[in-house]
Amino acid sequence: MDVNEKIHEQLKKAGVALAASLPDDWVAPLINRIAADNTIRHVRVAREAEAVAICSGAFFGGVRSVALMGATGLLTCTGELATLNLRHQIPVFLIVSQRGSIDDHRIYQEVQGRRTIPLLQSYDFPYHIVNEPDEISSIPDAYETCRLQKRPFVLFLTRNLVKGNAV
Amino acid sequence: MKAREATAAVAKHRGDAVAVCALGMAANEWWAVTESEDAFYMHGAMGFAASFALGLALSLPKAPVWLINADGSLCMNLGCLLTEASQAPKNLKHFVIDNQVYQTVGALPMVNQGRTDYAAIARGAGIAKARTIESIDELEKAMPSIAAEDGPSFTLLRVEAETGFLRTPPMTYEGPEMKYRFGRALEKRFGITVFGPQGY
Repeated sequence: MDVNEKIHEQLKKAGVALAASLPDDWVAPLINRIAADNTIRHVRVAREAEAVAICSGAFFGGVRSVALMGATGLLTCTGELATLNLRHQIPVFLIVSQRGSIDDHRIYQEVQGRRTIPLLQSYDFPYHIVNEPDEISSIPDAYETCRLQKRPFVLFLTRNLVKGNAV
Repeated sequence: MKAREATAAVAKHRGDAVAVCALGMAANEWWAVTESEDAFYMHGAMGFAASFALGLALSLPKAPVWLINADGSLCMNLGCLLTEASQAPKNLKHFVIDNQVYQTVGALPMVNQGRTDYAAIARGAGIAKARTIESIDELEKAMPSIAAEDGPSFTLLRVEAETGFLRTPPMTYEGPEMKYRFGRALEKRFGITVFGPQGY
């Protein structure tokens, strides 16, 4: 079972029935898997904050959801996460590529690597980093923590997890 | 037509629709007209009431969801029209109160004021049922069929810009209380579970 299959399986175990996504290349294979699953309503969006707000609306419909995006996309929607989700205490579970890590040799990701976690800490958004395949089973607990803390929760996927040794 | 009379004309036909209101003028006017607790009034995320309404409509396909948007909010998230069109929810109706100004902050002009054809943009995005309504008579006449048609639909209400602040007071509760009032109202009405056994 590959890592994206395992993540998909754990999301279903957490009860996720709606996913809203805007891809970066690390999360694209996971998005493709979820898009092919007709038991999960998949919504492709034009901007990451749409995914945040769609998941927030789904919360009130009693539907568990996930927003999938890259680290750059996460930076674009911090205003909405603060003024919608913190303001109203609406949980939203985000799966985000942890770009800009020491093994991500892309110059346009380096700021994301340095500043994303300090930014989450300043907002007091909880996060959890999944680096190894055997840590994927933590997803249902992470999801429950998101619900319990009533705020955005970011589950980061590392390069090691999703790309392994690939260039 | 005035924003208040346009809002009242729409509200009169809402039946059992669940409303999601963009922050500022749209939310305040909807509250003034309906005092409805089974509506969600955004306090932030300008532009994204549209996406919130879409998520709600997809999650509750049997509930009619009416989005009460405004021109400033629509412009902040025009991409919502593409997402609405692609999902094509039959239970979602998108209304836009277009006063061509940023009313809540003192009626400063909208970007590209007076030139933008929002209904044409909605049609271009793939929402075939898109129209502009410019008078209260036209709105009163059109509302029964708008309320009865399948979504997605897009109805732009061209209203007069007020001069200065409208000063319609906002709803009398906020943030977390709004979350719980709205969520509990939906649980009761639709028999769904929004909050778990421990209340979160």
